Amino acid sequence: MASDARWAHELSRRDFLKRTAGAAVAIPAAAEILAACTKPGTTSSTGSLPYQIARPDKPVTLPMNGDPIPSDTPIEQGAELQILNWSQYMWKYVLNQFVESQQDNGITFTAPSTFQNMDEGVAKLQAGQKADVFFPTIDVMGKLVAADLLQPLNHDLIPALQKDNWKTFQNPYYDQGWRYSVPYTIYTTGIGYRRDHIPDDVIHGMDNPWEILWDPQYSGKVGAYPSYRDVMGIVLMKNGITDMNTSKASDLETVRKDLLALTEDVDVRISYSGAYAKLPKDVFWLMTAWSGDMVAGWGYAPPYTEQAYENIGYWFPADRKGPVDNDLIAIPKNAENPALGHAFINFWLEYQHAMDNFSWNGYQPPQNQADVSSLTTTEGLFSEISNWAAPAMYVSPWMPDAVVRQEDFDVGYRQGPLTPDVDDQWHAVWEEFVAGAKS
Amino acid sequence: MTQGTIARPAPARSAVVPIRPHRWWRDPWRKPRILQTVTWAYLVWSLVPLTIAIAISFNGSRSNSVLHGFSLQWWWSDPEDSLWHDPELHAALFQSLRLGITTVVIAVPLGVAFALGIDRWHGRPATGATFLMLLSFVLPEIVLGISLFLVFQHLLKFIELGTTAQILGLVTYQISYPFIIVRARLLTIGRQYEEAATDLGARPRQAIRRVLLPLLYPAIFASAALVFADTIDDFVTVKYLSGPATSEPLSVKIYNFTRAEPTPAVNAAATFLLLTTTFAIVLGYFAYRRATRGQRTGGVSDFANV
Amino acid sequence: MQKASEPTRRSRRRADRVAREGIQYPRWYWPSFALPGILWLLILFVLPLYTVVSIAFGTVDPIFRGPLPVYQPWWWSGEHFGETLGKVFGIFEPVYVHTFVYVVVASAVCLVLGYAVAYYVARFGGRHKGLLLVLLISPFWISYLMRMLAWINLLDNDGYINRFLMFVHLVNHPIGWLEGRPLTVIMGLVYGYIPYMILPLFGFLDRIDASLLESGRDLGGSPLSTFWRVTLPLSKPGILAGVIIVSLPMFGDYYTNNLLSGSPRTTMIGNLIDEAYSTTGQGGEMASLVIILMVLLIVPMLYYLRSTRRTAEAT
Repeated sequence: MASDARWAHELSRRDFLKRTAGAAVAIPAAAEILAACTKPGTTSSTGSLPYQIARPDKPVTLPMNGDPIPSDTPIEQGAELQILNWSQYMWKYVLNQFVESQQDNGITFTAPSTFQNMDEGVAKLQAGQKADVFFPTIDVMGKLVAADLLQPLNHDLIPALQKDNWKTFQNPYYDQGWRYSVPYTIYTTGIGYRRDHIPDDVIHGMDNPWEILWDPQYSGKVGAYPSYRDVMGIVLMKNGITDMNTSKASDLETVRKDLLALTEDVDVRISYSGAYAKLPKDVFWLMTAWSGDMVAGWGYAPPYTEQAYENIGYWFPADRKGPVDNDLIAIPKNAENPALGHAFINFWLEYQHAMDNFSWNGYQPPQNQADVSSLTTTEGLFSEISNWAAPAMYVSPWMPDAVVRQEDFDVGYRQGPLTPDVDDQWHAVWEEFVAGAKS
Repeated sequence: MTQGTIARPAPARSAVVPIRPHRWWRDPWRKPRILQTVTWAYLVWSLVPLTIAIAISFNGSRSNSVLHGFSLQWWWSDPEDSLWHDPELHAALFQSLRLGITTVVIAVPLGVAFALGIDRWHGRPATGATFLMLLSFVLPEIVLGISLFLVFQHLLKFIELGTTAQILGLVTYQISYPFIIVRARLLTIGRQYEEAATDLGARPRQAIRRVLLPLLYPAIFASAALVFADTIDDFVTVKYLSGPATSEPLSVKIYNFTRAEPTPAVNAAATFLLLTTTFAIVLGYFAYRRATRGQRTGGVSDFANV
Repeated sequence: MQKASEPTRRSRRRADRVAREGIQYPRWYWPSFALPGILWLLILFVLPLYTVVSIAFGTVDPIFRGPLPVYQPWWWSGEHFGETLGKVFGIFEPVYVHTFVYVVVASAVCLVLGYAVAYYVARFGGRHKGLLLVLLISPFWISYLMRMLAWINLLDNDGYINRFLMFVHLVNHPIGWLEGRPLTVIMGLVYGYIPYMILPLFGFLDRIDASLLESGRDLGGSPLSTFWRVTLPLSKPGILAGVIIVSLPMFGDYYTNNLLSGSPRTTMIGNLIDEAYSTTGQGGEMASLVIILMVLLIVPMLYYLRSTRRTAEAT
């Protein structure tokens, strides 16, 4: 029929292309066309990187990309505090305390903007999201400063760092002279486990406890974070490779094989909430764990009795030779309220507030006044005010491995920045793992 | 009558002759038992889990899988996490409502006008436009969300990620709903009413406004309700286009919390969202009844036939 | 003064013209209705899709490895796209395969179950039709997340489903329903999308003239043969539309998997795209994956579009 022929003709490929592509090419904004007249990426620099790669034996002084705000800058009046942070990382109670302390300045606050991993955080910052404080990790510091996304800190406005916190952080290898960052929390990366299924002596007695994550008898009960550096770091440790920033192809190949073996042998689960939801509920028996997650585990273990708490354990090598690190607080360049940001950082670095926050999120702060040997016998604020739960110490006595000491930073292995091509290789291995590929 | 009567012998036993059991499925007029069971089973499977989820929002303990007593702590007593006290959830709720209402106000008129235009306009451009509209309907939402994110990041940089971007994205995603619904209705209405109106002297604009549009009210209200519910529920497009924390609506918060560590407060938030949408739909339904006094035929089935 | 209800001379002349020639609208009249919508779609639908293409065939910025779009087709580089295509046939192949399996199975279940329910309500609803309809429409306004949340609550290790199973001694330990089981993901997909199958099917079946179906029976067919030879062929367009509306979005679904399963074993195509989105240096790959997804869906999409046009022209 004539109409049939018309349809067949109308939806032919030519028309399809004409109709859509034709309209599309005509429209890009004029400014963008002009800007894009030279092929992007060709005007990039030579092979060298615009920032230095920091290592403990090659410390880096970040270049100043401007001046810090003057010491007499008043706190911005009536401002709304904007925070960009990992989720579940700051206690609301302490946040409210800070907002109250700034009541005279009329400060308001709703909620922090959050991200689930550092890539996402950096992407949000790049996309122009405004924040007064940002919580980066060490490996992205160089990039952020080179891309002009952070502003230098005014040390006069943050006396608490010099007063209350460990001296080493006044001249850390990744930011000599603490130009852009202060330390937030310190932690180690080890193995979280259920003590009722895996007795302490079993895991402590193994030659290579890292291997327990691959043990087929725990198939279906093993969890891993969706964080490529940490999980791949654990795989490196399992293989006795101590360079957490390795660029060797052979190392990465070993990691690749072992990651795929995780899926094959133990049917690994990838989850953010291993410590909050899965381990306490007996879904995971083993997981890659940051020490802070396990320390805070009691708050997520119904029915919140001491017996429930005792099920959660944490292992880290006895000689403390494992991944140890710290997180940072920094102020973005586009912060609308930098003075408020400085006040925020100072508040958070003060002894009492840092310890209160620690009692909730489980991540130890590098505080001078904190006696690390008493952490397992002192009750924190969060436990004190939580009348729905049995009392819990800052760090439960049955997970002494979770306590972090200054000396750990001397022997431990640190995660640093990677050059982009090495980073791509790491990401490629991770991607293969996440896609559930068969080895 | 005697011609047609077949003489029956008197039954030897009682007058009741039972129907032989194996013949019931041959009865063409029987009730469809299997289908009936399947339908009710489906409805139970579809709706009972929801009642449990709503019940859990009133849970006395922190558990979100098992009920331990009744409590309003997740609704308002808990000073930090409850719906009433948590400023994060408030901001999220306002954002949801803001997005929902704005999207309806923009998408429904655009879609209705588009449907009217396409229905009456013939030719290749019209076919192309229809194709484009239907394409936006069947594409997976992640494609739309990501492409909009990329365009706001690289090309249309003057639009920052946040509420504006979210509204633009949501309207783009939803605009096909009013179009499809109204167009289907237009096809069944046909042109006779308009022609009758113009026969009686109306101008084209009058014919549309006073004759055609009222006939389309069920379709318009149905699509407005659908767009509102779908926008409030949306978390794919909105998540990719969100900016600061205050621009994350409740759906995105629920999604994030569910993946992290859900307390029953999440259930409370979701239930609240459900109440809001139900309220909006009921409101819409009453507005529809008011606007169409005197010309409705059925009740709810009007909407199914759009 | 003329009363408003009396026809004016002008309107009488217009009425005469209409009676002679039919309604005359100016040529730009109807297109102008459609214009705002068209402009909107061009700027916010077609343009973004072109940007995706520009990024997939674009370059990368040196510091952050972020994607840089290249808008001029003559400068397009096939590097990202080629790499991603290689991965699709390489390490991503299992993902594509099992996504396809999940979607086919879930769509089939949606079709069979949805058709049964729609058929029952359309033909045998009777007095309860209004109530049944409200219940069927309700998933549209109950948010998808709430419905998934309900299942996450139920399927938890100490949730009611496991409790029930242990109570009736079918199992001894709780089953990890949310721990990477394809069955859970498929059920989640069915649960989430089946309303989109039922409502259009219902509308379609409702409109089929009951006398056509009864005639089948009158002519001596059993219910089964009436169904097979009369109802099913009549409802083919409805079935087609329903299947497409349900299965196409499923290909881009990533959240069902995220919510109901934590394991890499059930990764779907949408998850790959989402992962690439939140990873530095993979912007080009993300855009390429999106394009590959669209290409995969183009044939069923065009088929759907042609069949809706056919239906539109037939009525």
